[in-house]
Amino acid sequence: MNKQFKNNSEFNKSSPVKLSSHHLLAIEGMQKTEIQKLLDRADYFANLDKHADTKYLSGYVVLNVFFENSTRTRVSFELAARRLGAEVINISLINSSIKKGESLLDTASTLNAMKPDLLIVRHPHSGAPLLFAEYLSCSIINAGDGRHEHPTQALLDALTIKRRIGYLEGLKISICGDIANSRVARSNIHLLTTMGAEVRCVAPSTLMPSSLEKLGVKCFNDMKEGIKDADVVMLLRLQIERMSGTENPSEREYFNFFGLDETKLSMANSNAVIMHPGPMNRGVEIASALADDTNRSLIKTQVEMGVAVRMSIIEALNHSKNKT
Amino acid sequence: MTHSIFKSIKLINPATNFNQKVNVVIQNETIISISKDLNLEKFNKDNQTIIYDCEGLTMSPGIFDMRVNIGKTENLKFTQITAAESGITSMAILPNQTPKLNNPSIIDHIKRQSEDINLPKVMVYGAATKDLNGLEMSEIGLMSEMGAIGFTNGNKSIKNSLVMRRLMSYAAMINKPIIQHAEDEDLSGLNQASTTSIRGEMNEGETSTRLGLIGIPACAEVIMIERDIRLAKLTGAHYHVAHVSTRDAVNVIREAKKSGLNITCDTAPPYFSLNESKLLTYNTAFKLSPPLRSEDDRLAIIEGIQDGTIDVIASDHRARSKDTKAQPFSAASVGASGIETLFLITLNLVHKKIIDINKAISFLTINPAKILGIDCPSLEEEKVADFIVFDENEPHTIKQKNLKTSPTPFDGKKIHGKILATYINGQVAFMNQIFKNKIIK
Repeated sequence: MNKQFKNNSEFNKSSPVKLSSHHLLAIEGMQKTEIQKLLDRADYFANLDKHADTKYLSGYVVLNVFFENSTRTRVSFELAARRLGAEVINISLINSSIKKGESLLDTASTLNAMKPDLLIVRHPHSGAPLLFAEYLSCSIINAGDGRHEHPTQALLDALTIKRRIGYLEGLKISICGDIANSRVARSNIHLLTTMGAEVRCVAPSTLMPSSLEKLGVKCFNDMKEGIKDADVVMLLRLQIERMSGTENPSEREYFNFFGLDETKLSMANSNAVIMHPGPMNRGVEIASALADDTNRSLIKTQVEMGVAVRMSIIEALNHSKNKT
Repeated sequence: MTHSIFKSIKLINPATNFNQKVNVVIQNETIISISKDLNLEKFNKDNQTIIYDCEGLTMSPGIFDMRVNIGKTENLKFTQITAAESGITSMAILPNQTPKLNNPSIIDHIKRQSEDINLPKVMVYGAATKDLNGLEMSEIGLMSEMGAIGFTNGNKSIKNSLVMRRLMSYAAMINKPIIQHAEDEDLSGLNQASTTSIRGEMNEGETSTRLGLIGIPACAEVIMIERDIRLAKLTGAHYHVAHVSTRDAVNVIREAKKSGLNITCDTAPPYFSLNESKLLTYNTAFKLSPPLRSEDDRLAIIEGIQDGTIDVIASDHRARSKDTKAQPFSAASVGASGIETLFLITLNLVHKKIIDINKAISFLTINPAKILGIDCPSLEEEKVADFIVFDENEPHTIKQKNLKTSPTPFDGKKIHGKILATYINGQVAFMNQIFKNKIIK
C-alpha cells in the first residue's frame, strides 16, 4: 500500500491535481485518491523554498469572504493565493451588508457580478457555502461553515501528520473536546476514516453529537481510555460562542477531565504527537507546557502546512474548472 | 330549474359507509337523487340539465382541512381559491396570523370576510392566550360565541402548566377543544435568547450530526403530550394534538385513548411520507416544525393512521416566500405549503395499500368535523351538495412550478390522482378542462 502510494506521489509532484468538482465544499464524499493527490501536491509545495516561483495563476481573482471572525484561516488563504500569483481581495462581512438586511444570496450575487474566479467563504451557518455553489458561477471553497465542515483544516492536519509520521492508514487518532460544535472534527472524521485511520472521539456526553459512531468512529467519555495507545491526540477548542451555558460546569472542571496534561498523555503511544487547530485556550484544552513542547506538539507545523495545502487546493480548483 | 347529473360515478360517503357506483343528481344546492337506475326522462324535460359521464371517476364529500396557516405570502381569499382547486370545501385557520385572531370581533370579521357561497368555508381557531404569549387566557368564551371552533397558540406550545390547566378547564366548560403544538421548547432550544446558533433546527440524530445542524430530540414532542394528557385527565378537557410526528407520541396517545380520555390528534402528509434524510442537501423546503423525523418515526405515523390512533390528516399549510427560503438552513423560515398536495399525498396511502379509500376520505372529511363539533359532511339525498369529483388513478408528477403556493416538500413526486371538480353549496367552485369534456348533454 505504502509503496504504491509513494509511486503515485512521485508521479503527481510535477503537476496540479484535477478534482471531480470545481468546488471544495466538504470532505464527506471525497474520494481517497483525490485526497491523496491533494496531499502529495501540498507536500511538494511545502518542500519548496518560500521564494520559489509558483506564480501559475496570474490574473486569477480570489475573493476571501468572511462572515465570521478569523485571523489564521483568512491570512493562510491569502498567502496561498498570493504565492500562486493570484489577486486577492479580503472582504469582511461580519458587520456589513448582512446587518443592513441584504439577503445572503444578494450579497453573493453582487460579489459574483465582479467576476471572481474563486470565492473563499467562511460563514456561521452550516451549509451556507453549498447555497453559494448552487447560485454562483465561480468556484467556492468552504473555509468553515457553522458546525458542518472545515475541509482545508482537515487536509492540513492530514499533511501535518503525514510529514511527521509518514502515513495515515492504521494510525490511532483521538479527536478530543467539543465535538458537537466543531466543524474541524467533522472534516477530520471524514478525511481520516476515508484514509483508513482508526478514529476515536473523546468528549463529555454533553458535547458528543447524537449517533456520532455512525460516522465510523469510536466514542469515549473517558479521556484516558479514549487516548490509550493513540498515535495522534487532536484537541479542539471549546466553542463557547456556540453554547447555551448548559454544556459544561466550568473551565477548570473541563480541564480536569478533558484537558490534555502529562498524566493523560502518558496513556497514549510514547511517540504520540499533539495537534490543535487553534486558537487554543491554554489551561482549558491543553496544559501550556505541552502546547509548547516542540517534540510533541505539531501546532505550529499545522499553521505552516495550511499555506501549502491551500495552494494545492486553489490550484486544483482552477485546473478542474478549466478541464470541465 | 337546473339539474346536474353525475352518471355512473363511484360515490364514497364515509358517514354512511357507502362505496358504490351510482347516479347522483343535484338541484341548486341540494342532492336530490342518488340511485343505481337513472330515470333520465324525469330530468330531461328540463333543458338546463347537464349530464356528466363519470365512468371511472369518484365523488366524495369535500375535504375539511383542519390546520391552515395564512402566512404573509397569502391573503385569505387567495388561499380559499387555491383550496377549492385542491378539493377543499372547508378549512380551519390558525390564530397566529397578522393581525392575531385573539378577540371576538376579529373572529367575527374573519368569518364575514371569508363568507362566499362559492368558496370554501373558513372556520377560525381563537388564540388560547392573549397575544399568543402563553401567559394569560384570552376571551375564549366570547370568541366561541362568535364562532371560534377551538383554541390554540398556533405554532407555539402552551408551555405554562397552570395556564394549560386553566385553559383546558375553561374550554371543557364551553365544550371546545384545546389544540396543542406539542413541543418542549426549552428542550428544542427554541426558547434560547436571540442567537440562532443554538436553536433547534431539525430532528436530532445521525443526519443532524453529519450536517452540523442543531438537533431537536424526538422526545421534545412526547414530553409535552404526556403532561397535557395528565391535565386533560384532571380537567376533563377535549385535548387535540396537532401534527404528530414521532413514534413515542403515537404510542402515548394510543394508550390515553384506550383509557377513555377525550384525546384526538392529527398528522400532516410530510410526517407519513418523508423522513429527515431529505435534509441532506440543506434543502430548506424540508425545514418544518415539527421537523421531519427518522424513518422509524415515519413508520409509526403510518401505524397510527392504520389503527386509528391518528384521527385526521391535515395539510399544516404554511406557505413561505422564496426569499425567506433561499437562505442558509439555519436562517431560513420554517414551514411548507400543503393545501395543494393534501389530497394527493393522502390518496397515495390508498395506492400503497396502507388504508382503503373510505378510510382515507374519512381522515379528510368526517373525522375533523366530528372533532371540531361541526355538522358531519354526508352525501345523501336532501343534503347539501358539497363534494369533489376526482380521478383516483390519473398519473402525474407534482411540480413546484405548477403550484400556486410554495415551497412544496413534494416537488418531483410521482403520484396517481387528480381533483377534477369541487362543488360548494351545489355551485362549481372549481372545474378543470378534463371534467368539462365529460359533459354529454
